[in-house]
Amino acid sequence: MISQSRNRRRRVVPVKPPRPWGAIGLWTGVGLVAALIVGYTAFAAWRGSRPWNDRLTSLAGVTDYASTKPPWLTNNHKSGPLTYEVQPSVGGDHNGTWQNCSGDIYDAPIAAEHATHSMEHGAVWVTHRPDLPADQVAVLSRHVRGVDFMLMSPQENLDAPISLQAWGYRLTVEDADDQRIPDFIGAARVNAGPEQGAACSGGITATGTTPRELQPQQGN
Amino acid sequence: MVDTAPTDDLTATPAPPVRRGTPSWVAAVACALALAVGISIGILIPILRAPGDTSAEAGFARAMSTHHAQAVAMAMRAYAGSADADVTTVALDIALSQQGQIGMMQAWLRQWNLSPTSREPAMAWMDRTDMNHAGGGTPPAGSMPGMATREELDALNQATGAELDRLFCELMIRHHQGGISMVDAVLAADPEPEVRVLAQSMRNTQQADINALRDILTRLG
Repeated sequence: MISQSRNRRRRVVPVKPPRPWGAIGLWTGVGLVAALIVGYTAFAAWRGSRPWNDRLTSLAGVTDYASTKPPWLTNNHKSGPLTYEVQPSVGGDHNGTWQNCSGDIYDAPIAAEHATHSMEHGAVWVTHRPDLPADQVAVLSRHVRGVDFMLMSPQENLDAPISLQAWGYRLTVEDADDQRIPDFIGAARVNAGPEQGAACSGGITATGTTPRELQPQQGN
Repeated sequence: MVDTAPTDDLTATPAPPVRRGTPSWVAAVACALALAVGISIGILIPILRAPGDTSAEAGFARAMSTHHAQAVAMAMRAYAGSADADVTTVALDIALSQQGQIGMMQAWLRQWNLSPTSREPAMAWMDRTDMNHAGGGTPPAGSMPGMATREELDALNQATGAELDRLFCELMIRHHQGGISMVDAVLAADPEPEVRVLAQSMRNTQQADINALRDILTRLG
């Protein structure tokens, strides 16, 4: 009796329950959304945390002297006119006085010897041809005026209408509306300067391409 | 029947439980647990990776903050008291940048949940590195390589004119040389990236400052 009833019941049993498609769909959807959220967050974190020099060198048109020409990028104080390998300068020995770079816009060319010291402190130096149209200069000014660790000046004999320099890096562009300008500034400003913690205030605000010779005052 | 009924129920009727899927509360608890574990890992990893209280990084940040503070004091004295434009310029550069770097080092200690001070002797961290006091001779307790003594600071504060300029340059050159030996000690300990980057920057800048100060001394004669 017992075994009979066993057999009978066993044979009857394997009734496949219907697939719960609703639940499967729901959990698949939830899983997908969760994976998307986690994946995007990880991607965004990775992107945001990319080292500044990776962000800088991945910009089209940026010349990387920091990696290719480290011997150029010495940082001793030297008085008098200095010769730079690149025009405008992208780093190297410089005058003991830095050009004020607290968002200063200079209306005449400045001495590379001073601007190079500003770049050592982390400034991005924006230069443009003296004949760059006023509306283009106005667009550039918006990236500079009042922004600490920024300075801008016209520059003779530029090989492009606009040239941006930071310590060890250079970007030339044709148009002030080029998106690479804010990208370059965003990556290089403060980061590129080899002297960490240095300031942009307290520098000279005079224009003129002859570096100031510091003369000790005699007397006391 | 009374005897067989239980047997029948237990062994002969493994009536397959109707598959009803995992109860939703189990799934919810599992999700919550996974989330909690994930968040804990996220919180723990930065804490576990941060340098500890006796690490070279923490010792360097504390000691170099004190070391820098004296350089700022000496540079402010020269900036206010010197009439030599070379001296005031390099003094301003040193005071501003080293004060900025003190802020960075103090921010690390806060970020690492460490006290800005320690009861350990200031240079204990350096004794634990491969490069303890390069150049020989452990400095007396409480002092650091290249620091000016109380008497030297008094002399600097009272000096004027060319004597002030010369004394400032000499004291700052020695101070920077001591600073570079501390930098080399922390670099030898293979520090965290943020510490390595700033330490290398200090080494580079302070060597350039030493060169500039030597040039001024040469000119002063």
